[in-house]
Amino acid sequence: MARKLQVQEEVSPNLIPMIDIMFLLLLFFMLSADMGQRELEEVVLPKALAVKEEKEEPGVRMNDKLVVNVFHRYDGEAKDCVPYKNAEVCREKKHWRIGIRGKDYTDLKKLEMQLKLEADPSRAAPMAKLSSGQKVPTSDRTVLVRADASAPYGFVQEVMNSCAKVGIYKLECGAARPPDSELKKAGG
Amino acid sequence: MAGSQNIGEASDNPVAINVTAMVDVIFCLCLFFMCSLHFKQLQGKIETWLPKDRGIFQGEASSLVKDEIAIVMRWDPTSRSTVSNIRFQKPAASEDELMLAVRAIADDYDRAGNTTYPLIIDAQPDVPWQDVVHIMDLCKRNNIQRIEFAAPERPIE
Repeated sequence: MARKLQVQEEVSPNLIPMIDIMFLLLLFFMLSADMGQRELEEVVLPKALAVKEEKEEPGVRMNDKLVVNVFHRYDGEAKDCVPYKNAEVCREKKHWRIGIRGKDYTDLKKLEMQLKLEADPSRAAPMAKLSSGQKVPTSDRTVLVRADASAPYGFVQEVMNSCAKVGIYKLECGAARPPDSELKKAGG
Repeated sequence: MAGSQNIGEASDNPVAINVTAMVDVIFCLCLFFMCSLHFKQLQGKIETWLPKDRGIFQGEASSLVKDEIAIVMRWDPTSRSTVSNIRFQKPAASEDELMLAVRAIADDYDRAGNTTYPLIIDAQPDVPWQDVVHIMDLCKRNNIQRIEFAAPERPIE
C-alpha cells in the first residue's frame, strides 16, 4: 500500500532554471535589438572596404544627423520587381522612394523644403533669395545618403542636387562593410 | 529530508507564488524580441562634397585652372556594364588600369605641392549606385581623400 502511495505522489517540475534561462534569453534579445535604427528604411547598401565606421563625433549627436534614404518600395507592383529581386539595377522610377525619418519625400519640392528647414540652424546667416544673386553662407549640416545598391545614380543625384540648392555641401554616402569571411575569400 | 526537496516546493514557502503568469509574459516578450531581432549591419560612410558654386550660388567658380582629377562614368547598354575613364582619356580596360592612371595624376599634383586637388566623379544618371560607390571605395583605398560629385548641368536661363 505504502509503495502505491509513493507512486501517486505529485511530481512538480522545478521551473527556476527555466525561468533563469528565459531571463537570460530575454536580456540577450533586448540588448541586441537594434531599436535605434528603426527610423532607417530597409536599404541594401553598396559594399565598400574603405568605409569609415559610424561613431559619435564630439559635438555631433548621432540623432542630429540627417539621413536621407533612397530605397526600393516593398509594396504594390514594386514588390514583384524582377530586376531588383535579381540584384540588378531597377530603372523604374515609380519603384523608388526618397525617405527621411520614415516619411516620404519623393516629391523633390517637398524634399527641398525639408532640407532647407534642416539646413537653416547650421547656417551662419539666413539664406538669401535666389533672385538676389548675393552669395549666401552654406550650411554646415551633414547629410548621410543611404541609397540602395541597385538604385540608378540619377536618383541619388536628385538628392544631391536638392542638397546643393539649399546650401548643404557636406555629404556622406552610406555603405556596408563586407563581412570578414568575404574579405578573407577576396584576399585569398 | 527537507534538503532534498525542491526550492520551489510549497513546504518551504508558506506563501506559494504562481509563476505561470510570469513565465507566460516572459515567453511573449522573448517571442517578440526574437521576431523583431534585426542584427546591426556593419555600415559606415564615405565622406564626399558637393561643389559650392552650384545650387543657390549663381556666381562663377573661383578658379579657372582646374587642378582636379575627373572620372567619367557611363552605362554601356550593350555590355550591360559601367565604362569609366579619366576625362579626356580613353576608357580604362580594367579598374587597376583606371586607378594606375588616377594615381599617376595624383602623384604629379603631390610633387607639385598641390595637396588640395579633388577627385570629381561625373557619372551619368543610369549608372548603378553600386558602381559609383565602388569607384569611391577604390579612390579612398588609393589615398585620394577629397571626393566630390559633379553637379548636373544648369538649365539654360
